[in-house]
Amino acid sequence: MEILPQLILGAINGLVWGFILALIALGLTLIFGLLEIINISHGELYMLGAVLGWYILQLTGNFWVSLLLAPLVVGLLGLAIERGVLRPIEGKPIITIIATFGLSMIFQQAVLSVFGGAPQRIAAPVGWEVSIMGFGYSGYRFFVALCSLLAISALWGFLHRFKYGMWMRAVRQDREMALALGIPISQVYMLTFGLGAALAAFGGILAAPIVALEFRMGLDILPAVFIVVIIGGLGSLEGSLLAALLIGELEGITSVFVTPTTARIFSLVFMSAVLLFRPEGLLGRHR
Amino acid sequence: MRGRVGSAVRIAIPMGGLIGLIVLPLFLTPYQRSVLTEIMIWGLFAMAFDLLYGYTGMLSFGQALFFGAGAYGIAFAVLRLGWGIWEALAFGILVAAFLALLVGVVAVRVTGHYFLILTITFSVISVLVLQSGHWRWLSRGYVASPFTPPPVPLGPWKLSLVDPLMNYYWVLVFVVVSFVTCWRIVHSPLGKVFQCIRENEERSRLIGYHVERFKLIAFVLGGLFSGLSGALLALTLRYVDISFFELALSGKAVAWTVIGGAGTLVGAFLGASVFIISTDYLSAWIVNVPLSIGLLLLLTVTFAPDGLVGVVRRLTLGSVSADGGKPS
Repeated sequence: MEILPQLILGAINGLVWGFILALIALGLTLIFGLLEIINISHGELYMLGAVLGWYILQLTGNFWVSLLLAPLVVGLLGLAIERGVLRPIEGKPIITIIATFGLSMIFQQAVLSVFGGAPQRIAAPVGWEVSIMGFGYSGYRFFVALCSLLAISALWGFLHRFKYGMWMRAVRQDREMALALGIPISQVYMLTFGLGAALAAFGGILAAPIVALEFRMGLDILPAVFIVVIIGGLGSLEGSLLAALLIGELEGITSVFVTPTTARIFSLVFMSAVLLFRPEGLLGRHR
Repeated sequence: MRGRVGSAVRIAIPMGGLIGLIVLPLFLTPYQRSVLTEIMIWGLFAMAFDLLYGYTGMLSFGQALFFGAGAYGIAFAVLRLGWGIWEALAFGILVAAFLALLVGVVAVRVTGHYFLILTITFSVISVLVLQSGHWRWLSRGYVASPFTPPPVPLGPWKLSLVDPLMNYYWVLVFVVVSFVTCWRIVHSPLGKVFQCIRENEERSRLIGYHVERFKLIAFVLGGLFSGLSGALLALTLRYVDISFFELALSGKAVAWTVIGGAGTLVGAFLGASVFIISTDYLSAWIVNVPLSIGLLLLLTVTFAPDGLVGVVRRLTLGSVSADGGKPS
């Protein structure tokens, strides 16, 4: 087997994976930037997106319905979480982190008892194949990259062109001043958490035909997402996007030569190196 | 008021507690005794975390890595190397401490949320490595590896840890020794530096302390005691598997300590016993134990966020001591 086509395939796989990572990491970093909390249950929101998508697919038989509905439902769940769980303990960072950890346990176990422990699969809704240097390559992966790109552009547009998006940026910059100007901060917090949750779920349903669906899939992706937000700089959206593509490529290309586990260790080492030389991350502003 | 009576009480309470722990198991059913043994092991694990968080202000969410390393270390030494109990125990603890040193070198350079994320990442990746089935020489992955604890040579006798009562006292000895050691550490000049770093890292640096070095010492100590608790649980259950590494364990240590009261050492044991006993009762009618732990966790952080020791202090002293302050 020649090495060049494999390298190209690895690079494309890495790009697709990087885009999925970017969706999840953007949600996480958006939440951190405003609420200043690390959402440990973020991986579970990704998992919920995929699992809910599977259920909706079973009910309707239409992948496109679940692609739209799953993020919407998880987004609403995110609104409820912020309002019901996080709001009462606002301003207590440690307690909030423990609460999100409790949530992640609840989601995992709830899915385990309803969905079961056996992994499930979703067939790719896009059948066509692309031929790359003689290898057939699933067209669905290109579709995933395209969808993520659209979602990320939409997020950028939302943050820069829409009222709530601009409010979000305002609260990020200066909470006190935003409050003084009459921006409804509580609503903005709620919306941010919901939006972050919906992004994670969108990543989940997009990834569903590529990966195995099970209650632990949130834990599989959590370290990668954390590595991404650390490398990119906590709270920096541009940094998260850049780092996600970087880590996706790193793991995609190294996976050609070594096992995926070893590839993950490589990104861990890469993250450690970034931290040792640039503790604020690639595009982070402050520690 | 706080003169002679206070110091007498301060000696009487721990002594009474110790005598209680020595005598109590003789009156308990085997099941209750096994619960008590586990409470002590988990309390030790949570105390190791308290040393990091409650005293040095480092919120580590990855202590399960060192817990699991201690357990795997002792099982590896017994199963593959055929070592005796003391060598195997020392091996398990050293493996955990060495891993803590490796992770710590990177982790102590960052603070706050970065530190939290970093410790989670290292810990979860260790689970992925064991789960993946690669590197099989290192572990046996998912598969539980049962082993028989070697007898403890003590003078002319050989004590068998397979006997639950003997194992209870064996655990008790280590928990008491660790507790006293940690107590001495946090009240030593070293412990004062830890607390100084917890209160204000910048100022400690300006005073002239090498902050990273002290944080590394604290991190390795935390790893060491976590490893000890993992090794003790492996000896008690007589097997190890991947569940010794789970993120949920780190989360439990955090929860028990914060619920019990951070920065008190005793709070860790208090939180662990309250949680373990109540989930034990809950699991009688809720089938899914982790689910009930999650729910209990949510309820307690909402309704008693300053911990049980804080509640007790408020009730007895009428004010909250400055010692139990939580860094944020």
